Amino acid sequence: MKFIELLKTAWQSLKVNPKRSFLTMIGIIIGIAAVITIIALGNGVKKKLINNFKLTGSGEQTTTIEFMSTDPKAVGFKQNDILAIEQNFSGKVQKAQLYTKKAGIQSYAQFGNDADTTVSLGVTTKPIADSLIVEGKNFTQQTFLQARPQVLITKELAKREYKDIKSAIGTPVFINNTNYVVAGIYRQNQLADINDPTSGDVIVPKDVYFANGISKTQGNTLKLTITKGENASKVTNKVVDYLKKNATAKDQGEYAFLDLGSMLEQLSKTMDTLTLFISAIAGISLFIAGIGVMNMMYISVSERTQEIGIRLAIGATPSNILFQFLLEAIMLTVSGGLIGFGFGWLFAHAIAKFIPGDITAVVTFNSFLLAFGVSTAVGIIFGLLPARQAANKNLIDILR
Amino acid sequence: MEKQLRPMIELKNINKSYVQGPNSYHVLHDINLTIAQGEFLAIMGQSGSGKSTLINIIGFLDDQFEGTYFYYEHPIHEYTRAQFSSLRNQNVGFVFQNFKLIQNVSIAENVGLPLLYAGQKRAYIRERVREVLKAVGLAGYEDQLPKNLSGGQQQRVSIARAIVTKPKFLIADEPTGALDSETSKEIMALFKQLNHDNDTTIIIVTHDPNVGAQADRLVHILDGRLTEDTEHKAKGRS
Repeated sequence: MKFIELLKTAWQSLKVNPKRSFLTMIGIIIGIAAVITIIALGNGVKKKLINNFKLTGSGEQTTTIEFMSTDPKAVGFKQNDILAIEQNFSGKVQKAQLYTKKAGIQSYAQFGNDADTTVSLGVTTKPIADSLIVEGKNFTQQTFLQARPQVLITKELAKREYKDIKSAIGTPVFINNTNYVVAGIYRQNQLADINDPTSGDVIVPKDVYFANGISKTQGNTLKLTITKGENASKVTNKVVDYLKKNATAKDQGEYAFLDLGSMLEQLSKTMDTLTLFISAIAGISLFIAGIGVMNMMYISVSERTQEIGIRLAIGATPSNILFQFLLEAIMLTVSGGLIGFGFGWLFAHAIAKFIPGDITAVVTFNSFLLAFGVSTAVGIIFGLLPARQAANKNLIDILR
Repeated sequence: MEKQLRPMIELKNINKSYVQGPNSYHVLHDINLTIAQGEFLAIMGQSGSGKSTLINIIGFLDDQFEGTYFYYEHPIHEYTRAQFSSLRNQNVGFVFQNFKLIQNVSIAENVGLPLLYAGQKRAYIRERVREVLKAVGLAGYEDQLPKNLSGGQQQRVSIARAIVTKPKFLIADEPTGALDSETSKEIMALFKQLNHDNDTTIIIVTHDPNVGAQADRLVHILDGRLTEDTEHKAKGRS
């Protein structure tokens, strides 16, 4: 009998009991989905590591140093600081550049006559989504054309500073030597990317912000391009040490290097442990699911004793029967494996959106082969005994 | 019509006993039976007389017996169990009392199953299934499920399945046992036609004298011993 015919026969038998077949598959689906999810996330973390801290497409490695000031008027990096870094670290640092961030800029703001408070500031060149505005008005095209000193603040900030958010509209806010007027209140977008201004507390028009106070030759974020082959983390830490001792603004704030490299390495180690742990749980899930498959196959064999007898009587060989039942088990587990693979793929991408560090899930062909291979193996291991029982049935006893 | 009487099945001194619990049963006693190609034979006996055991041996279902069984001079008693599968598939068709159709697949698939196990191509199987369904008077029933057919129709399907591989002989175990007398007549007529048109040897097992009377040759089995009904034979041949 041809293989394709056996496959068809197995499919027909499974179709007879769709509910039972599906319930039996659930364990496999969960097990495989868990493994695929964790592997995809682990791959994502590793890929991120490689992209950022080994060799990028151009072979460059970049890091950023931030200046967190205690004095609102202080500027972390001036032209002479940048030149000094380039001179002192020539050979290790290829280039030192001021980096103008669009969001997450640590800044001081003074509301009315209150004391200064720290805010996370974002700049924009276009109005934010209208759906986020809860009070007052959004920016308009006029805001940008006329460089109006307007500001949008979050509901939380408005409540803290004004108690009643309505009374915040039209009041002055002093940020970086500029007086802004509160135009509207918006709902903070917790899920937004770190480069999205709506992730912060305060939004101002970009041109207004950079025209007043912050110039192109000085700023609070420095981007370093590290020479190929150097250890980016070590070099950057040395630059930070140097800045703490020698920079113009060394007494007005802290220099800090957000070491994404070591952070991601830490994450990667955590992921490895987590992968092991979840794989162990998935292993148990697959084992139990396998026993479920075995149980169902035994029931199926005893329910279909007559069918087995008929097939044997009209010329099926015992191995035909063995393969038919084995294929049923394999088809069940492989379908479960493939569905689990699909769920794992979805879960991994969904979870990647909620973990920090801008990780994307990476599902590889190897993951697919793993899902396929493991589910096939479960089918064979747990389907073999019931299939053998089916094949070894005594024909005379069945037909009596 | 003169039939070519070439020996097909030769059973010599067949004995069969089996053990069930503490008791041992001697079911068949020194069975000697020769069946020629093209014969229409009925084996009659009460239940428990050993007739089912005998046809299981004749139909290559049971390989546990003493004595010798030559099928076209091949020593069946020396064959292994694995060889029995293809022997059944190629040479014999079974028709059972309760039809024994697979309920969850269509009529066409039931009938085509022996050809699938024989490794035939799908196109040939489709063609052949249509042919045999037409021969048993069920043309057009290919896509129906067995449960939607009457008993007589299901038995015709089972006959179609038995003859689909063009076997040398058919074994029918109480083929009319579950059918009313009218339908029984039709089924018996179908067997006669197959015997006549295709020269297929037919062995019918029954306890119904009316069915037995329609065969060309009649043997009785009682407590595991065979007796030939020579009177019937003489009557049938005259």
